[in-house]
Parts: sequence; C-alpha cells; structure tokens
Amino acid sequence: MSGMFSYDFMQRALVAALLIGVSAPAVGTFIVQRKLALLGDGIGHIALTGVALGLVTSVSPVLTAMIVSALGAIAIELLRTRGRTGGDVALALLFYGGLAGGVLVTNFAPGGSTSTLLSYLFGSISNVSRQDLYAIAGLVALVLAVLVVFGRELFLLCQDEEVARASGLPVRFLSMLLAVTAALTIVVAMRVVGLLLVSALMVVPVAAAQQVTRGFKVTIGLAMLFGVLSAVGGLTGSYQFSVGETNISPGPAIVMVALALFVLSSVAGWIVRRSRGSRPVGSGAEVRT
Amino acid sequence: MRTMTDAVFTLTGGQVRLDGREVLSGIDLRVEQGEVLALLGPNGSGKSTLVRALLGLVPLSAGTREIFGSTRFRDWARLGYVPQRLTVGGGVPSTVREIVSSGRIARQSRFRFTSAADRAAVTRAMTALGISHLARRPAHLLSGGQQQRVLIARALAGEPDVYLMDEPLAGVDSAHQEALAATLADLVAQGRTIILVLHELGPLAPLITRSIVLDHGRIVHEGAPPAPEGDCAAPGHEHVHPHATEAPALLWGTS
Repeated sequence: MSGMFSYDFMQRALVAALLIGVSAPAVGTFIVQRKLALLGDGIGHIALTGVALGLVTSVSPVLTAMIVSALGAIAIELLRTRGRTGGDVALALLFYGGLAGGVLVTNFAPGGSTSTLLSYLFGSISNVSRQDLYAIAGLVALVLAVLVVFGRELFLLCQDEEVARASGLPVRFLSMLLAVTAALTIVVAMRVVGLLLVSALMVVPVAAAQQVTRGFKVTIGLAMLFGVLSAVGGLTGSYQFSVGETNISPGPAIVMVALALFVLSSVAGWIVRRSRGSRPVGSGAEVRT
Repeated sequence: MRTMTDAVFTLTGGQVRLDGREVLSGIDLRVEQGEVLALLGPNGSGKSTLVRALLGLVPLSAGTREIFGSTRFRDWARLGYVPQRLTVGGGVPSTVREIVSSGRIARQSRFRFTSAADRAAVTRAMTALGISHLARRPAHLLSGGQQQRVLIARALAGEPDVYLMDEPLAGVDSAHQEALAATLADLVAQGRTIILVLHELGPLAPLITRSIVLDHGRIVHEGAPPAPEGDCAAPGHEHVHPHATEAPALLWGTS
C-alpha cells in the first residue's frame, strides 16, 4: 500500500480525489436541501455534449464541458421556474438531448469513435495531468468560496424559497449561482468518477450523513468527511484489488464505497434512534395532531 | 417615488391572476402603522394571495402597490413573513436554531459574521415562542404546532416592523396560542404592525383593531372585528382545532 503513492500519477489521482471528495458533497448538501437530488444527473448528461464539442473542435473537452454544462444548468433553472406543468418532462428532454447529442457529435470528431467518450462517462482519474490538477484545484477553490460567501443565503433559498424572496434575497441570481456551481463541480468530478456517476458523489455522502445528523452544518461537515473517505477508499481499493488481468475502475469503486458508508450510517442511525426511541419529541405539553 | 403618508401598505385596484384565473380583484387596501389587521374569509377566498401580493411574491395583473410609500421597496428587513406551511421544508435535517437564525438574513450583509446581537435576537425569538428547549432538535421531526412556532420565531428573529402571518394558529395548542397572543401583544405595544390571516380569532381577538373579510377574491366586509358567533359544526366548516376543551372564540362562517 505504501508503495502505491510513490507513483506520480497516483499522487495526482489522490489529490484530485481528495479535492472532489470535499467539494462535491458540500455543493450536494444544498442541492439535496433544495430537493433537487437528480439535478447533478441532468447536468452530467448535458456536459457530455460539451465534451463531444471539445473533441470535435480540438478544444479542451473540460473547457467546453464547463461552458455547455453551465449553460445547461441555467436552462434547467429557467425551465424549472417558468414551466409550471410538464417541467419535469422538459428537464427529461434536456437530459436525453444532452446524452444523445454527445454521442452523435462525437461521431464527427477526427478519428473519434464513441469509445473516446468512455473515459468521460466512467472517469479516468489515473490520467490526471499536472495541468488538470491545477484546473481542478482552482475550480474547487472557487466552488468552496461561493459556498462560504453565499452559504447563509443559499441555506434559506433551499429551505424556503418564498421566504427568501420576502427577505429581499436575489432569488433568481442565487438559484443560477447554485446551479452553475453544481455544473462546475460536475465537470471537475467527471475526471474522477465519470459523468454517469458524478451525481452519486454529490448525493450519496449527503444521504449517508443525514442518517445520523440533526442539523444542516453538521450534515455538510459529515458529508464532506464521507466524500473524502469514499474518494480515497475507492481509489486505494481499486489499486489494491487490480491484480493481473483484473483492472478495477476507480470511479465505480469510489461510488460503491460511498454506498457502503450509506448502509453503515443507516444502521448506526437506526440504532441511535432505537436507543432513544421511547423519548417523545418536545416538551410533552401538547398532543400530536 | 414617495408619498407623504405613514401607510405600511397601500394597494389600489389590486388584481391578481394565477394560471389565468382571477384570484383577487378590485382590492383597495391601506394598512397604517400600528394596526393589527385580521384577514378573514372562507377557504380559497384569496386571503393568502392577498398577503403574498402585499409582499410582492405574486405580481399584480392590475393596480398599484406601495410599501412604506414606495413602489420600489428595498428595505426588506422591515417586513417579517410567516408563510402557511405544513412542514418547515428542506431535504436535509436542520435544527430549530438553524432555521430561526435564517430569519436574520435581511439584517446580515453577505460578508458579515454572525454577531452577538444576531445570536441574542435568535435566542429571544425562541424564548418568546417557547421552543428554546428544542433548539438543537431537527425541526422536521417536531409536531405540526411546534413547527408552526419555529416559523413564527424565524420571522421574530429578524426584528421587523411589520409582520404578515398566514394562519399562525394552525395546529398550535391552546396554551401556546395564549403565549403567542402575549408575544403579539408585546409587539403591538412596541408599535409594530401585524397582518394576520386567520380562520378563527381565538385568543388573538382582543388584539385585532380591524378586520377584512374576503370572498371570491373581493373585500366583502371591512370594519371592527365581528363578534363571536356560530360554532365549529357549521356546514362546510373546516379548521385545525387547538387541543382545548372550550370552543374557539369565533369562526368566520365558511358557507
């Protein structure tokens, strides 16, 4: 085990995994609070078209994915607020359009078969270059800065949008900001776990954390810890268990570790609740309706 | 644009259409500072929409709205809104204190840390609503009445000049209704303005200085609060009973 991080590519992979393990669940907590757990999946699908555009035009696929997914995130927000009926159908159309568009556009890439897309769909953390790492670190810093500066406002927005509006918060701007922040996180994380599983890293650690937490701040902290444990655990595990012909992909391994943490956390939460189960909520001065 | 008046809200010829349906029409309403105004009327008569229209949460399809004499009101810290909610909402557990603290948002600029004054206001609000002992509990696991008190405390924490409360008594037991009445009486004594959407006046009756009755999106009665009459068994009547043995003081007929 100690030998695995003597390789440069593994050191870079570890740093990338750590950065994403911290940032994805942090953004994810706000997304789950807003009851938009599947937003990340939608943005991930749209990002694929961005990757394909990058492949065709020989521009950096990460850059084009960033632009396209940010635009897609804004489109999703607009559809969500404008469209009343059929809003979810409109979103579905956008998701499928993104996925199909990504594959079709790739067909036009020079020498591009859709197999090029596989590394973006399922991640390729062992190919992270030093330049990639700088870009990832920069974006993660940006994402965390947004959450620190706007966290208080985003909390109320995700908790109760109408009261946020009545409190004079710039609701539309904050909604867009959160969606774009999620989009950036997804593009960063696509190198690690892949676009198809990227949303898992935003949602599963949060779901795991809230099995045992009572408050928002504690949930966000624990989700970040779970995210780091999943990222590092999955990366290490995939290296350890890749022997001979068997080659374990780090991305899916990371997600499986996160899911295992969810199961453990659920059991822990169940035991905790059971042990204090007989205690009623509240003062006992009132009868529950 | 400012007028030379002390009115908190001035709605002139207010009309609201939602999904092509006229929900409010021809609403002329002026709310003075220090008033305690009760909005009454049957379910679906437009009470909640009127509150949301006053706050600018729903656009007016006709008419004009002024808040503190301004058509482009920006000083949101002066207004506190208690919406009608079945639960406090949100997909992640939040403690009672976290939710009540979020009521300070209009007073906390983006780059300012939470101050001792913020914390003191939050503690005062929770004490006033009798939920201090629940501060560290996850709000979504509380009873309906307790969650309602959390929402009221959130508005109180912002220390606004004007309160707009949509069915603040819903699900709250009689002992805490009395406590809420005492809290509101304090606010009135400090010169605050309160607008209440109510299904029953209950222990708030003595505080109310004016009442407005809505029906089908129009004001059909305006004046002193109506005297108690009727009973809970009136046809078509539905409301959330407090856990009290005595009958509620007044139910505005829903027939």
